Amino acid sequence: MTEAYSPAELKAATAEPRTRPRKRLSNRWLTFGTFALLLSSWALATGMGPWEPIIKPLFLPSPTLVVQTFFQLLENGFQGKTLGQHVGISLYRFSVAFFFCIVIGVPVGLLMGMSDRFRAIFEPPIQAIRPVPKIALLPLFLIWFGIGNLSKIIVIAAPVFPLIAISAMQAVQSVSIKKIQAAQSLGANRWTIFSRIVLPASLPGIFTGIRLSISIAVTMLVAAELTATSEGIAWMALTAAEFLATNVVIVAVLIMAVIGFGLDRIFWLLETRIVHWSGKE
Amino acid sequence: MQIEPYDCRTRCAVADAKLSIEGVSKVYGSGPDSVEALTPMDLMVQEGDFLCIVGPSGCGKTTLLNLAAGFDRPTAGTLKIDGTEISKPGAERGVVFQQGALFSWMSVLENVAFGPRATGRSAAEARALAMDTLRMVGLDEFAEKYPYQLSGGMQQRVGIARALTNDPEVLLMDEPFAALDQQTREGLLEEIRQLWNRTGKTILWITHSIEEALFLATHIVVMSPRPGRVCASFRSDFGTSEDPMISVTPEFVAAKRHIFELLKAPSPERAQEVL
Repeated sequence: MTEAYSPAELKAATAEPRTRPRKRLSNRWLTFGTFALLLSSWALATGMGPWEPIIKPLFLPSPTLVVQTFFQLLENGFQGKTLGQHVGISLYRFSVAFFFCIVIGVPVGLLMGMSDRFRAIFEPPIQAIRPVPKIALLPLFLIWFGIGNLSKIIVIAAPVFPLIAISAMQAVQSVSIKKIQAAQSLGANRWTIFSRIVLPASLPGIFTGIRLSISIAVTMLVAAELTATSEGIAWMALTAAEFLATNVVIVAVLIMAVIGFGLDRIFWLLETRIVHWSGKE
Repeated sequence: MQIEPYDCRTRCAVADAKLSIEGVSKVYGSGPDSVEALTPMDLMVQEGDFLCIVGPSGCGKTTLLNLAAGFDRPTAGTLKIDGTEISKPGAERGVVFQQGALFSWMSVLENVAFGPRATGRSAAEARALAMDTLRMVGLDEFAEKYPYQLSGGMQQRVGIARALTNDPEVLLMDEPFAALDQQTREGLLEEIRQLWNRTGKTILWITHSIEEALFLATHIVVMSPRPGRVCASFRSDFGTSEDPMISVTPEFVAAKRHIFELLKAPSPERAQEVL
């Protein structure tokens, strides 16, 4: 009877109960392997192998040089300011822009979703601004808002605000009419329907908008620190590039990546806590 | 045990009706693209009636429920509850939907306590009322769970409990069990009969299942589509039968067949289409 099954089939049948945990483990190893491969090819190509560096440190510093540079920057700072100050000022510009985008963008989006009149007033200008490349507006922002932090904050907020507002509006519009009708026939007034039905039901969409805009905001940070400043993590990368200090550039870029990733994780964590029911209906 | 025709328009005097529907029609859109969802109809529902409206899709039964709930306004005619015209949704008309109308961000208890809270009761009162109803539908153990953690049948029971907690004058049920599997549905239908026996609520129940209507109703209104209209109405005593096997008795099957044939018979309009 056993001959009726091919060896592969038999193996598959007998291995069945163990596949799930094992598969999860092997997937994690695969991810780890990807990073190990990337890191080791970087190391081997930049002089950590037994041969001459294939890529000169001027173009791509070795991983150890990057780590060394990081500690040097930590100790000595960059161009008269500590690494902490550079990261701090960038985080300040980023956070203020992001904070106001959420605090103003979400309510504006909610109002646009709730009321057609509000939408008629606010949506056309927001939609008109959306496709304009905001980096092109940087010189204007500098003229209008000066060379201080304000112009930097505004250039970061410029693409983030419409994204957050529009996603909040769409989140409201996609709230199931049945849930609103259910609340109405349970005797809820307009305010209760907004605060206990529309707002919570829109939260998943609002979170998606916020998380999408994090990467955009980090990109805009670079644009914001292109000119008219002498501090900030993106400015550090741009300035170091002028001196061909690629090791400093890479450290700065990695720090920005960590900031972006960290913020995304924070909002992801908030999302799974606050809208735990999302996607489970 | 049988069904017998009655005139749903003159079930009782308008003044005595719990829910009265007088000359109500609904037309969607205007001009040549307009759709007549409901031709003018009259219907009196007396207190304590379990009225099932049965018919295929497009017969206007959901339109009628939306009008009774106040989600929509009739093109002509008036709907009244206890003599007061229905113009918007209200807590005296509890609605149970097919599915997806639970508040996913609230626990089962918060869902069920929503009505009393919204109608001005204190949090503690609302909680106590909600627990009572949950106990009645056998879900008190699941009070702290979220809707997504429950099966489809349990979710529908939460929906029913939520509507009941406001102690509405009329329960409007829009095919509440249509999305459930056969076994779950049969169990819940039995529970609905007991619930109606215990509470004596006036119920307007929309369904496309003749069997469901016969099993539950004291009164059955049969509607047919294109355009939506009432084509027959019956008084039934299967709904109050004590026999657990009522749905396989010859009388029940005969009644089912009678209504089935009524629905299958081509309407005069459709006969003309064929010609």
